[in-house]
Amino acid sequence: MRDTTRLGKEEMDMAEKFCMVVSEGSLDKALMPLIMGNTAAAMGMEVHVFYTFFGLKLLKKGVKPKLPGMMSIFTGMMVKKMKKLNIQDYHTMMKEARELGVKFYACSTSMAMMGVKETDLVEGTKILGASAFLNMAADAKMTLFIG
Amino acid sequence: MHGYDITAGEMLLDKNATLDAKGLMCPMPIVQLAKKVREMKSGQVLELLTDDVGAKEDVPAWCSRTGNALVGMEEEGKLIRFYIRLK
Repeated sequence: MRDTTRLGKEEMDMAEKFCMVVSEGSLDKALMPLIMGNTAAAMGMEVHVFYTFFGLKLLKKGVKPKLPGMMSIFTGMMVKKMKKLNIQDYHTMMKEARELGVKFYACSTSMAMMGVKETDLVEGTKILGASAFLNMAADAKMTLFIG
Repeated sequence: MHGYDITAGEMLLDKNATLDAKGLMCPMPIVQLAKKVREMKSGQVLELLTDDVGAKEDVPAWCSRTGNALVGMEEEGKLIRFYIRLK
């Protein structure tokens, strides 16, 4: 297998592609694609993450994802525990992901549905529709749905 | 299975750099490993220190995926030392 961490841009185009769709905006759904995505990027894969429906809010600046449903009241405890265990928080993982070249996409229809503006999104996010993402996923080695 | 050539204890490996990833949990040791490797040259040996139990499987998997050679692994209690020769 090739070590794509050492390759230039054209060669990166040949890297194995890994796509994810994130449709929920809770803390668990926020962290999982970043843990998988950052690891895959570190293994030399090209990573694309598409955020849609409730997942879209994870791309908003300054978002603080909470645990799902009734568990949301325990979010603070979980965040504290993660810190104690030296696990990166959401925003640090996001920053790491961008440094590793993970690509983030916002679903244009979800943006309209949720009333999210382009200026609300973290820098480097590309807005696209289902067909552009499917075009990417069509020749991906792996595609995961997180929702 | 993991393709260790030799254990580090049996061989005096000239390491070129050490990455101390102690106290970091998955996926951080692997992410930092990938970043460190970018700064290094082909043929150099990197020593990776970790106490993440998952690393015992993760580091060999990263090596086989990226084509770098895992030339040694040593355990001292919770601490695991890996020696990786960069391709």
